[in-house]
Amino acid sequence: MRGKVAVIGVGMIPFGEHFNKGLEDMAQEAYIACLKSVDKGIDPKEIKAAWFGQWSGGMIGQGAQSGSMLASMIGNMEIPITRVENGCPTGSDAFRNACIGVASGIYDVVLALGVEKMRDKPGSESLIGAGGGKGGGLGSHPSWMMGTGGPSLQALYATRQMYELGCTMEDFARVAIKNHHNGIFCPYAHYRFEVTMERVLNSPIVCWPLHLLDCCPQTDGAAAAIVCRTDLAKNYTDKPIYVLGSNIGLDHANYWDKHNFTEMLATVRAARGAFEMAGVKPEDIDFAECHDCFTNTELMNVEDIGICKKGEAHKLLEAGEFDMHGRIPINPSGGLKAHGHPIAATGIGQLCECTWQLREESDQRQVEIKNGIALQHNCGGPGFGVSCVTILSRSL
Amino acid sequence: MSAPAPASPVFWRFNPEIFRLIGVKCKDCNHITYPRRKICPVCGSLNIEEYKLSRKGTVHTFCINWVLPPGLEPPVPLVIVDLEGGGRYQGIIAEVDDPGQIKIGDKVEMVLRKVDTDRGINVYGYKFRLAEES
Amino acid sequence: MAGIIGYGIYVPRYRLKQADAAMTWTSWSAGEKAVCGADEDIVTMAAEASDKAIKHAGVNSEQIGSIYIGTASSPYIEQYVTPVLAETLELAPETTMIDYCGSVNSAANALLGCLDAIESGRIKCGLVIGSENRSTAPGTDGEASFGAAAASYVIGTDGIIADIEGMHTYSTLFIDRWRGVKDSWVSNYFDYRFDREFGYEKHIVAACKGLMEKLGRKPEDFTYVILPQPDDRLPGLTAKALGINRELLAPGLASILGDLGSSSVFISLAGILDKAKPGERILLASYGSGGSNAISIIVRDEIEGKMKNPGTSLDKYIERKQYIDYIGYLKITQALTRAPY
Repeated sequence: MRGKVAVIGVGMIPFGEHFNKGLEDMAQEAYIACLKSVDKGIDPKEIKAAWFGQWSGGMIGQGAQSGSMLASMIGNMEIPITRVENGCPTGSDAFRNACIGVASGIYDVVLALGVEKMRDKPGSESLIGAGGGKGGGLGSHPSWMMGTGGPSLQALYATRQMYELGCTMEDFARVAIKNHHNGIFCPYAHYRFEVTMERVLNSPIVCWPLHLLDCCPQTDGAAAAIVCRTDLAKNYTDKPIYVLGSNIGLDHANYWDKHNFTEMLATVRAARGAFEMAGVKPEDIDFAECHDCFTNTELMNVEDIGICKKGEAHKLLEAGEFDMHGRIPINPSGGLKAHGHPIAATGIGQLCECTWQLREESDQRQVEIKNGIALQHNCGGPGFGVSCVTILSRSL
Repeated sequence: MSAPAPASPVFWRFNPEIFRLIGVKCKDCNHITYPRRKICPVCGSLNIEEYKLSRKGTVHTFCINWVLPPGLEPPVPLVIVDLEGGGRYQGIIAEVDDPGQIKIGDKVEMVLRKVDTDRGINVYGYKFRLAEES
Repeated sequence: MAGIIGYGIYVPRYRLKQADAAMTWTSWSAGEKAVCGADEDIVTMAAEASDKAIKHAGVNSEQIGSIYIGTASSPYIEQYVTPVLAETLELAPETTMIDYCGSVNSAANALLGCLDAIESGRIKCGLVIGSENRSTAPGTDGEASFGAAAASYVIGTDGIIADIEGMHTYSTLFIDRWRGVKDSWVSNYFDYRFDREFGYEKHIVAACKGLMEKLGRKPEDFTYVILPQPDDRLPGLTAKALGINRELLAPGLASILGDLGSSSVFISLAGILDKAKPGERILLASYGSGGSNAISIIVRDEIEGKMKNPGTSLDKYIERKQYIDYIGYLKITQALTRAPY
């Protein structure tokens, strides 16, 4: 993939609770923003294929989603569109497939769009209600699935992180503090307020050891990206951002098959493969947008990606190394914690942020760009068995 | 689509796993898992045979749910248990007075409990209970 | 004749003070009772009691030719629970599986069925369970007094620790408690004197006298007497009618665990066997729905070779308790449920 794919436009809507917007409204706004973001302009008809990230449509009464839904939304029935669903990495995987579409040589210019409507249900019925345990997926008998709502799957890891690696609830809270602070400077973030240590630790325990403020919110949002062949990029923009590699890593969906509870192999595999494809190492990246659906997850992600050794992340966090102006900023956008997690839109939203940061267009939240390389990561899916890592660069 | 009824083949197929704890063990990499399948999920080997899991073990990791979907009353401790002889089991700890007392390493044993009632049919399965000293 | 090879019991840990329920409805009931947790029922209790019985008996599941459960609180009008137990106890499909339902005499009838099967030569060893968790409704007397427990016995011809010398039954059409198919609670005729004299007492006395005549035994031959305990008074009054010293009666459980229905005499029997000595003789009589089964049990030397785990004794189960209040009880029995939306 390296050398073949360039990002020429990215657009998103601010993530948040958009009670007055449906799936179509948000998707269309993100698509229009994306088209407008192409510096030298683009005729929508130049887009020859699309990948449509949508995670929950069928589950919340929006109807089962398919490529034809996106075709309707963007007013283009002439192109092949695949609906992608791959857990929390849905948006990233839509983007990855779009890149493969270009790298394969079959398409010149393609679109990846992710959109999620979560707030047509009350917050409590969303992810927390999911996994209540009645069928679906490998090993879905109620006696195996009871009590496995969203936070519990990461809470099981958090308990071991505390037991084996010496993490504390304060360490987890620090992730929330950092990301909320970053979110204040991002106009697209869902939450734009600071939180203190007291506020996080005094928030109700949702799933011990995780508090309410250790959990990302339920968010609506949409984001889109247009990628094209590298040799065509300059027709559209003077600041293309190149995709050096994009990889999916997998692990067991059943928790009882996992090798341990301090490391997510899906992320390890996705990152290792992405670095190989990109021909770069963890030390080379300037910053990362990673999947902090829960605060403890960010610490695990940073270690699993290879940015630091297992058990080191919470110490480096405390020392300020992951702050916006630290040695290696993590989640300058505010992360899922503050920026929000509209599942299928999240990955592409992170890629938007990476693009703006690498182009040094991020205003008050601009991080220092040294090598011009960024890493974007998601993980999730049943049993946190899927991860997608994409590496972007501002030079080939 | 509503969930399959307890009378459906989905539940019936799992009876050996749920009640008799019959999983599989890979003869090549020794990984133990369930439900039964023909290919080892870890190493992809076809050299896989039936294996009965133990009903006793120790807590490997846990979390305590305080917010739950309707039908479950909090707190609900969820555990991953290292079973005696190998393999792990995911389940809930029943009958714990104070969830704060649960620790990694605690000995637990399986007990049959009613995990659901749907369309007038009870669904049974194992939960864990902290082993009493005796 | 066959005998007891091993036994096990289960009593839930939750306790409700009987007055908490009764006084809500301007009535009175003394003591406390054992209550199933929200995820427990006759099946889960029977499973644990049976697991312990099989371990105590030292038999393999393949050796069990039949499994019987006796209960008046099956969750089903059509569908057996013994197949669920057969799964968790890992019995073969060739094992005969029978639910005896519809009476608090059901467990004693299940025992009779097992003894008949052994005597006929069809099986050598059977598992007999009495498990009760009767449905209650607010304001009923059962709400205050019905308790929950399960007792499981491995019955057979090899490895006997207590012989069953004989059984005698006496039954007539008599209605004191009943539950129609459309009711979700057990009704009571509420004529204590009539129901005692012509129900409980008459049938038990007839069954016991018939048994003693058949076996050539006298009241003095028995060290222990076990009668059903719907309350603390009936056993004593009936002992008097039988000409038996009430000192011989098993300890009263009605104010400790509640009215245990089908499992009552078998829970009491477990308590007695926990302490009985070789050579001691036990008279046990059940009663329910106009039927009484009387049996005579004599303890063998072998009982001492099969020491029971003290952690599973009746005393330990009685000690192990956690109180719930009446609201908690209403939620568990689903008399009080959250609005669906």
